[in-house]
Amino acid sequence: MNTQEYISSGIVESYVLGLVNDQERAEFERMCAAHSEVRAAREAFEISLERETLANAVAPPKHLRSKILGEIEIEKENNRDSFINRKGVTDNQEEIEKMPVIKMSRWGRYIAAASIVLLVASTALNFYFFNQYKSVTAKYEDVVAQNAAYAQNEKDYQNTINKLSNPAMAIIKMAGDSVPSSPSPSSMATVYWDTRTKDVFLLINNMPEVSAEMQYQLWAIVDGVPVDAGVFDVAKGIVTMKNIPRAQAFAITLEKRGGSPTPQGKMYVLGKV
Amino acid sequence: MDKHLGTTITYNEQELVSLLRDRDNRAFAYLYDNYSGALYGIILQILDNTELSNDVLQEVFINIWRKIESYDPSKGRLYTWMLNIARNASIDTLRSKSFQNSQKNQSFPENVDGLSVGVSQPNIDNIGLKKTLEKLKGEQRVLIDLAYFKGYTHEEIADIEGIPLGTVKTRIRTALQQLRNILK
Repeated sequence: MNTQEYISSGIVESYVLGLVNDQERAEFERMCAAHSEVRAAREAFEISLERETLANAVAPPKHLRSKILGEIEIEKENNRDSFINRKGVTDNQEEIEKMPVIKMSRWGRYIAAASIVLLVASTALNFYFFNQYKSVTAKYEDVVAQNAAYAQNEKDYQNTINKLSNPAMAIIKMAGDSVPSSPSPSSMATVYWDTRTKDVFLLINNMPEVSAEMQYQLWAIVDGVPVDAGVFDVAKGIVTMKNIPRAQAFAITLEKRGGSPTPQGKMYVLGKV
Repeated sequence: MDKHLGTTITYNEQELVSLLRDRDNRAFAYLYDNYSGALYGIILQILDNTELSNDVLQEVFINIWRKIESYDPSKGRLYTWMLNIARNASIDTLRSKSFQNSQKNQSFPENVDGLSVGVSQPNIDNIGLKKTLEKLKGEQRVLIDLAYFKGYTHEEIADIEGIPLGTVKTRIRTALQQLRNILK
């Protein structure tokens, strides 16, 4: 098989998509290293696959971003600590083994004693200044965090307005009188569903107050199966719910606080997309 | 993101890899902002379950962060490497016990059975790569679906479909050649 036949045999696509066995993988990597045409064919398919999947991207739920970036931050901190600890332990052991015994003169002993006193004093000062520094830093960080929280609120608010006014937003009115056995036929809530990003927002128009151990839960009905779209409390304004890629209807049921994996309680309102 | 604030940064792939190896948070956030949607799309297509897909996406990005040292640019682009991590993690989940159980629990509640909103199983065959696959011939599509989206080996597919291993290999290769032309 010549290089051209090898390239068009489907091996390039199998390799990129991860459908080769170990032997085929090793052979392909050898061919890539030896023939620039094979490498070029691989890159070309990689780029078209990347373009295709990017064009079909589905925005993940908003909360995942901060969760994942937060995890990374923790991981980074942990790695740094364990690195320092390991290093500290080994250095000490070596020093203990190597330490020689030195005889000192009388003056030498005074100087050594004085230097220890100075060292203790300077350590105490260091400790004091370090604590000062820490408390100022902590206050500063509080202010920065607060500021960021305000900025985030402002941005969220602006985002909500932009989202709601966007032409791709589907508006689904859910009414109590669409549900024959609704405990509250006059209830109403509205789903704003961004058909492009699949983000779901909920406006509570009129829902009865419930006891503290209960919570409302929004469901997306996907091919007849209710999919959890998040729980909410009766509050003013717009609530961001879970991202829903596809649905034919939305409904709200009353569940135990925290929600249920499948609806257990009575349905209050329902609206078709 | 944040175009109006003038904070848009773009990296080329080499810069991005070297910043990620230096454990640069901003580069990682950039990676997330630009690629999480594409990877989430693939994960959703394999799992068809939002809850589990969220968990897998998180696992995938943490693995990207942890394993960036093992990414070898001579073997492919960064995105291909990430896509394979996402696919492998999704298929591991697909085959896990907890996934099998969660499928059983998707019951049909009494409160909604009066609705005329369709009764077929949930499927997302009409989005993404799966939609592209629609353009393949029937038998080829089935094989690619089993191999890529269900993660079966060629041997397992030969068993499932009751056809010789050699035929499975040839058909998958032919399907992939077609796929390349479709994506071009």
